[in-house]
Amino acid sequence: MVRALLAKLKVSPRSGDRPDHVSSIIVPFLIVAAGLGVLAWRSYVLSARMERGVNTLAMQYAGYAAEISARRIDAAVHDELSRASEDWQKVERHSPSQAGLQKWIDDNDWITSALYMPDADPSNALFASGRSGTAQTGTLQLYSSSGLVRYTYDPSRLLRRVQPALARQPLVQAQGLSQQAQVSVIQNPSAAGAIKTGKGYAFIASLAAPLSSYAIRGFVETGYGTSGWENARLISVLLSALALSLMALGAYLAMRGLAHEADTMKLRGALVANVSHELRTPLSMIRLGAETLKRGGTRLPEKQRHEIEDSILREVLHLSHLVENVLDVARIQNSSAKALAFTPVYPRDLLTSLVSTYESWIRSRGFDVTLHIDDAIDEQSWDRDAVSRAVLNLIDNAIKYSGDENRIIDVTLRQTDESVVIEVKDRGIGIEAADLARIFEPYYRAQFSDTQTRRGAGLGLTLVQQIITSHGGTIEVDSKPGAGSTFRLLFPRPQSPKTTSLAQLAPQTL
Amino acid sequence: MTVRLSHFLVAALLLVTAAHADDKKLCTSSPRECEQAIRQLSSGRRYLGAMIEELNPGIAVKAVIEDGPAWRSDLRPGDRIMAVNGHSTVEGNIKDFKQILYTAKQTGVLWIIIKRSGVLRKVDVQLAPFSKAQIDKMVAQHLLVGHGIPDVTATSTAPQH
Repeated sequence: MVRALLAKLKVSPRSGDRPDHVSSIIVPFLIVAAGLGVLAWRSYVLSARMERGVNTLAMQYAGYAAEISARRIDAAVHDELSRASEDWQKVERHSPSQAGLQKWIDDNDWITSALYMPDADPSNALFASGRSGTAQTGTLQLYSSSGLVRYTYDPSRLLRRVQPALARQPLVQAQGLSQQAQVSVIQNPSAAGAIKTGKGYAFIASLAAPLSSYAIRGFVETGYGTSGWENARLISVLLSALALSLMALGAYLAMRGLAHEADTMKLRGALVANVSHELRTPLSMIRLGAETLKRGGTRLPEKQRHEIEDSILREVLHLSHLVENVLDVARIQNSSAKALAFTPVYPRDLLTSLVSTYESWIRSRGFDVTLHIDDAIDEQSWDRDAVSRAVLNLIDNAIKYSGDENRIIDVTLRQTDESVVIEVKDRGIGIEAADLARIFEPYYRAQFSDTQTRRGAGLGLTLVQQIITSHGGTIEVDSKPGAGSTFRLLFPRPQSPKTTSLAQLAPQTL
Repeated sequence: MTVRLSHFLVAALLLVTAAHADDKKLCTSSPRECEQAIRQLSSGRRYLGAMIEELNPGIAVKAVIEDGPAWRSDLRPGDRIMAVNGHSTVEGNIKDFKQILYTAKQTGVLWIIIKRSGVLRKVDVQLAPFSKAQIDKMVAQHLLVGHGIPDVTATSTAPQH
């Protein structure tokens, strides 16, 4: 796509004008783009920094939550152990017996079995066992004043006993914000310390001796760990890219619009130059003649007065023709089809009356017109005045752009299968190939050495083209510099279904 | 004296057993489980073999098990314990002594300074594990008391002490 755009820019016929528009658009675009880029970069850096900060805080918070909870559990376990020890001391002071040991075990349900060995005679031991615990058991001992108790315990039951210590969790409460660390107990921890998970940060704090097979896991969720569309950073980068590409598109469109505008401005300048020249010349001629007539009055010779009157009349005619051309172009440009009144017209009649009307004028310019007319052409639905003006404009052009020799104009009317063709052929100076593409543009005039001496506003061919387009037809030009030009108006023939169907059906019906 | 104390204890336990063995068993677990647990809890466990009493202030040896670790290290009833493993026990109580005993369980060695008839003496005690006979006796004791199973070896060995 980019290559196509570049190619378009290069191939453009007025590529010489481009650098101005390009730089006038590209430079502000680059400045704004650079500003946006800096903003995007800064916001990216800031968001990255914030993310790091949030992550650090989350990690620390998870760590504190886990450590505090672990120490609470440790303290609760310590309390439980010393409470059990004191309980046993009471039993022992009374009298250590099998029943007392059994009761002690039953009171502390996390103890699975106990062996009491009195100092006086260790082999006179007491043993009691409670509910059989799980396979995973540990051994603890406590020294009483007159003996030693060794007991096995069930860590899971001990943990259940001290679990209430976890009920109160460290809580962060800010205004309208409440984020709670999730604290849970895990078994057989693989490693202690901070761990980054998919959704946040976890911290594993190990527990002290009796429950060392367990650990506390603190977890804090952060929004930054997520990937894909939920990642705010990715979204901001994508939005920046979108904004940049939209800006590029806008710049391209503005550039195209400006280029078009500049072309129009140039043409308008040409119009002002052309039209003012075209208007001023006849006006000054008229003024000169009128002043001469007024000053001279009846004293002027008859012949000179006639000449002046003719000249004034000629200039007025020319002026009105020019003004009408301009008005017609504007009118047809504004509302193409409505401006025309289509009526049934015989092309032969149209051409013969046109040529006979203007024959004297053409002859006065030293030209001969020959008519070649195909009589078989049917009635057409044309705008009579518009088509007449188009043909007249072509004849006028032929007269204007012919040399001193071969002052012959051929006007041909013929038809093909699809169209009715009016051809105007001269043997004049012709048109350069470079100009051929642009002669139909408004106010464009081919560059000749004597362009300024030939009258015209550069509107004739534009008008012709607009008229033929309004009729649904096309215009063709054949031209060779020095050998003359041929303008061909192709009007579409209305397809008459009757004749074609009859012609097709004929063999079958016969 | 110590022998007599142990005899008294055994006799008391036997009496208790005789009174309760018929109507209900004190221990709810199976005898095999209990025996395993006792052997596991006592095996390799080192003991001192001396009974301590509080003198307020201070502590002294109240009784010594014959042929126990304390007996073999020449610790005798009536010895006042002045210091253990560098910790003074002149004004200590049994709890302090037990704490020292607990911390010394890794090495199994106690350096005790005693005061016997006005003379300070240093005694090194090597804590010793229970012998097989002692453990067997514990098992027999429990089977008899907890499950009402009279053990042949236990009853036969008891009178020998």
